[in-house]
Amino acid sequence: MTLGPFFPREFAQGANDLTALDGKPAKGEAIEISGRVTQLDGAALDNVVLEIWQAGADGRYDNPDFFGWGRAATGADGVFSFKTIKPGAFEGRAAHVNFLVLYSGLMRQLQTVMFFEETDDPVLSSIGKNKRHLLVAKKSGPRSYRFDIRLRGEGETPFFGD
Amino acid sequence: MNYAIEPRPAGTQSQGVEPGYAHTANRWPSQPLARRPHTASELSGPGGLARRLAPVRGDLAGYGKQRAIGQLILVRARVVDEDGTPVPGALVEAWHCNAAGKYIHPNDSNDAPADPNFYGAARVVAGDSGLVELRTIKPGAYPVPDSGGWWRPPHIHFSVWGRVWLSRLVTQMFFQDEPLNEHDAILNAIREPEARSRCIARLAPTAKGPFDALVYEYQLVVRGRKAAPGMP
Repeated sequence: MTLGPFFPREFAQGANDLTALDGKPAKGEAIEISGRVTQLDGAALDNVVLEIWQAGADGRYDNPDFFGWGRAATGADGVFSFKTIKPGAFEGRAAHVNFLVLYSGLMRQLQTVMFFEETDDPVLSSIGKNKRHLLVAKKSGPRSYRFDIRLRGEGETPFFGD
Repeated sequence: MNYAIEPRPAGTQSQGVEPGYAHTANRWPSQPLARRPHTASELSGPGGLARRLAPVRGDLAGYGKQRAIGQLILVRARVVDEDGTPVPGALVEAWHCNAAGKYIHPNDSNDAPADPNFYGAARVVAGDSGLVELRTIKPGAYPVPDSGGWWRPPHIHFSVWGRVWLSRLVTQMFFQDEPLNEHDAILNAIREPEARSRCIARLAPTAKGPFDALVYEYQLVVRGRKAAPGMP
C-alpha cells in the first residue's frame, strides 16, 4: 500500500551515509549519488522515500566492513542524496545499486536499479535497448553521480515488478 | 536457507492508477513493470538493519500525566513470511495520526489539534516468534484535502523488512467494523475481498487482557517462502 504523505521526518533522515559502519570507514571509493524525483507534469516531489541496497567495493553483499543499505528522502526541491562506496561487479552482475521508491500516491512500492555504465548485465538486459540509458547514472563530478527518477511521463524511469 | 520470491497475485494489489485517488495518475508509471531475473543482489538482504536504523520506541501512548489522549490499544502484530514461518528479528516501523486525526508532520495541513503527549512514530524489532507489540492510542479518521469528501478511516502505517531485499513490505492496518473502511480508496484498491480482510486487524476478546487496553491482532506477511527442494 501507499506510504502516504506523512512518513515521519525522523525516520526519513540520518540513514543516507553508507561510507562508515559503527564509526569505521568502509573500504573502497567513496561517492555521492544524488537525483531529483519528478511526476507526470515534471513537478519535483517532496518527502519521497528512497531506499538502496548494494554490494560493497568487492561486489559482495555479506561484506563485514560495509553495510549496503541506506535511506534518503527528497526535500521540497525533489532532490535526494546518498554517500556510499562504489559497488563492485560480482557473479555475472555489473556494478549497480538497487533502488526502492516509496511515496504518497504510489499504491505499490517501485523497484528500479542504477547502473554506472551501459554494459552487459542480466537485469539491465531485461529492459528494451532504447530505454537502458535511463538506468545509467550520469557522472556529475569526479566522485559524484546523478540518477534522476521520473515516475511517469517523458523520460519515464523503467521500473521492475517482481 | 534457500529462498524464493514469486509475483504477487494481481487481485491482492492495487492496479496502480486508482480513480478515487487523483495523485496516482500523476505518479504511477505509464509503462508496464518489467520482469527481471533474480540474482544474489535481489535475494540477499539487509540483515542486522538495526545497525543503521536504531529501534526508537514501541510505546506511543505514555503513562500518567504524559499519557496521550485517546482509546488505549495494544496492537499485537506477527511478522511471518508466505509460508507462515515467523521472521524473528524483523525490523518494524509504525506511524499514525493522533486521536483527533492530526499527524505530527509539517506537511499535514489538517486543522485538528496536536496532542503534546503524542508523537506517532515507533520502530521495534520482532521477537523470536516474529511478534511485535505496539502500545498506543487508536488513531482518528481525517478528511483528505481536495478529494471531494474522502475521509481516511482510522489506520496505522507499517514498514517491515523481511529476510531479503524483495521481502520489503509497506502497508496500512485498518480496524474491524469501521464504517469508513467501505469507502476508502486505498483499502478498496485491493480488489479481492479476502485479501482486503487481511488488512483489517481483529479485536481480541477483552477477557484475555490487559485490563486497560483493547487488543488488536494482526499479521504482517512479508514476501518469500522457503524454496522447494530441487528434484534429486
